Amino acid sequence: MLPDAADECLGADGSPREPYQRLFTTLAEGEHARLRDIQHAASGWFADRGVTFGAPAPVDGGAPIFPFDPVPRIIGAAEWRQLERGLAQRAVALDHFVADCYGAQRALRNGVVPASLVYSSTGYLRDVVGAAPPRSTWCHVSGIDVVRVGGEFMVLEDNVRVPSGIAYALTSRAAMQDIVPEWLSGAGVRAITDYPSRLLDILQRIAPRPWVADIAVLTPGSFNAAYYEHGLLADGLGATLVEGRDLWVHDDEVYRREADGGYQHVDVIYSRVNSEWIDPLVFRADSMLGAPGVIEAWRRGNVALANAPGTGVADDKAIYPYVPEMIRYYLGEQPLLGNVPTYDLTDPVQRRHVVAGIDRIVFKPVDASGGYGIHFGRLMSSSEREEMVARVVADPRAWLAQEEVRLSRAVCLGEKGGFEARCVDLRPFVLLDEQPWIVPGGLTRVAGSPEMLVVNSSQGGGSKDTWVLNH
Amino acid sequence: MGSEPLTFAINHRTTLRYSGPVTASYNEVRMHPRHRGGQRVLTFTLASQPAAVPRSRVDFYGNVVHRIDVAAPHDLLELTTQSVVSTGQPRRRRLERWDPGALQRDPNVEFALPSPRVPLGDSTATLLSEWAGDDRSFDALVELARRIPTEFTYTSGVTTVDSSIDDLLDAGAGVCQDFAHLFCALARGAGWPARYVSGYLGPKPEETEVVGESHAWAEVCGQDGRWVGLDPTHGVLIGGSHVRLAVGRDYGDVAPHRGLYFGEAGGAPPEVSVRVTRMSLQEAAAAHRLGPMERQQQQQQ
Repeated sequence: MLPDAADECLGADGSPREPYQRLFTTLAEGEHARLRDIQHAASGWFADRGVTFGAPAPVDGGAPIFPFDPVPRIIGAAEWRQLERGLAQRAVALDHFVADCYGAQRALRNGVVPASLVYSSTGYLRDVVGAAPPRSTWCHVSGIDVVRVGGEFMVLEDNVRVPSGIAYALTSRAAMQDIVPEWLSGAGVRAITDYPSRLLDILQRIAPRPWVADIAVLTPGSFNAAYYEHGLLADGLGATLVEGRDLWVHDDEVYRREADGGYQHVDVIYSRVNSEWIDPLVFRADSMLGAPGVIEAWRRGNVALANAPGTGVADDKAIYPYVPEMIRYYLGEQPLLGNVPTYDLTDPVQRRHVVAGIDRIVFKPVDASGGYGIHFGRLMSSSEREEMVARVVADPRAWLAQEEVRLSRAVCLGEKGGFEARCVDLRPFVLLDEQPWIVPGGLTRVAGSPEMLVVNSSQGGGSKDTWVLNH
Repeated sequence: MGSEPLTFAINHRTTLRYSGPVTASYNEVRMHPRHRGGQRVLTFTLASQPAAVPRSRVDFYGNVVHRIDVAAPHDLLELTTQSVVSTGQPRRRRLERWDPGALQRDPNVEFALPSPRVPLGDSTATLLSEWAGDDRSFDALVELARRIPTEFTYTSGVTTVDSSIDDLLDAGAGVCQDFAHLFCALARGAGWPARYVSGYLGPKPEETEVVGESHAWAEVCGQDGRWVGLDPTHGVLIGGSHVRLAVGRDYGDVAPHRGLYFGEAGGAPPEVSVRVTRMSLQEAAAAHRLGPMERQQQQQQ
């Protein structure tokens, strides 16, 4: 069976691991009672600022407050440095891969990544082939989900389309800073507040007119789960929050409609709309979230898009098993972060292996996110297993098979005030220009209950503040 | 064994009538004949009403795409192309099947995969084994193309531009678009890269002009990377009367017009009229007789 889950906070003898010692001493000295207060205060703080997850409920008008656990997740300086190098390496390789898919396709011709997986990916956009984005960067922002298995971090999933979650990390930190500033200063926690200004630097550098760049944050709209984040980032960037219907393309230039009826030229769009939806003239004709002509304006270099359109080919789950090979191929380096062992079901040999060891396998649909549609082989009856195998054989491209891993657990404040351990993961955010930069921390997501094995905010989980220590 | 190169004058008009005024429309047009594979475009013009300045690009499949934006209110958009095309010598060679490993590493593997309008489902797999047994040779493909028009009736109005292959199989009748999709599904099911071709069919030998609609057929690719056209509407390899317009995985990649508009008006199916006239040697020579600047213009895509 699976080995026991690693513990983020406690060592084998039950004493706190080194990065947690100071916090746990503080809690033992009586501050422990403040955790409930912090949680209440933070919830109020979030409610005041409209930090929600999920679409506003149409009836009572209130969206659920993002559940916040007051016990921070702490990563020591040395461990972070190692993780950071692995994340930077991976983000750079993914960026090379996207550029290659839309350029010379070296990796496909050399058999590093099967060409048929790329050509059958819904994220591969043929209208993007041959485009040359400014500074040759495609994946300006990526969120690479990692989990700790045994003692080691491993990558669970790459998100290079429109990764969300940074606003929750920024807001959680602001709340902690507001409520228990002495905890942060005492522990020596690295600041994350410069994320918006780092992102702004990148957006200005890719702009066709960098010195006067007009930047717009394109949101799908207020019914999107991450709408709060779009507004917060627009504020932080000094950008305008727009929807597709606010944009107008004329002679391959993009404009936004202003409140006074005028038009302002747009130089950079930080798009939180998936690229397949951004231009109904070339992609999905039924999209009401984009504006016709945006893609041609981008191809001509009249507007910069971040992320560049078409990056979805790199976060297709069926491509994920090949990322370690990509790192070796493009960078000539050994991968510093491993993958969770994963099988390409379109390969008959790997498929047989999966069927033979089905009780250790987790099946994920390649085109779903948010933890939906996941099936654990261990939990299936024999008829359910047969059905699963039949589905996989009928459409192997639609599924990904991963070995089931035990996510590490971290101490959380329970419903009744005591402590309990819940599964956690981590989504660090990588910004890519010439050099990658990684926000020290990221979003630690917590499972919705001590029993849950899947960590996802769409499924009732919550978050913690993530501390990376100076020393 | 190729047929004679022929020269055609083509007039292709598409009319979009909106039920009321629209404030602006954005259009992508794939109506420029291909200037590749032996076929030559001698002259080409594209005009729109209301007038707009078209801008062009070449898409992923090497098709010329014109963009036409109309920013003023209008209730009708008319697009007219006029071209003179020499079809060259269509290849009619026997092709070698791909080694599956080699195909996996070749960009043409794309055309052996399912695509939005050519899903490789059970219905076409069953049909393939019924018609071809285990034979996956080029001759078997030619036989499939010959058989399609004997098993299905060519009837307009039974299917629409959005119909699926299964609609054709259920109805037992369809048009060239359906036949080309079906052929692509059978050929891909047999492991061959097969692509969809939109184009025109010139007049019969005893006539000089044909008025009607555009045509569609398919091409398959052999291990040497060369494409050969098969017309599953007429059950033949393509000849000098087939004028190639655009190629892609299926109709979705080559639709002659794709557009959207702003306004309250409803749209209507485009009205299309195509006139293809075979040109005499003298007329063709006159079309060739261009100054150096016109020739340079021609060479640009």
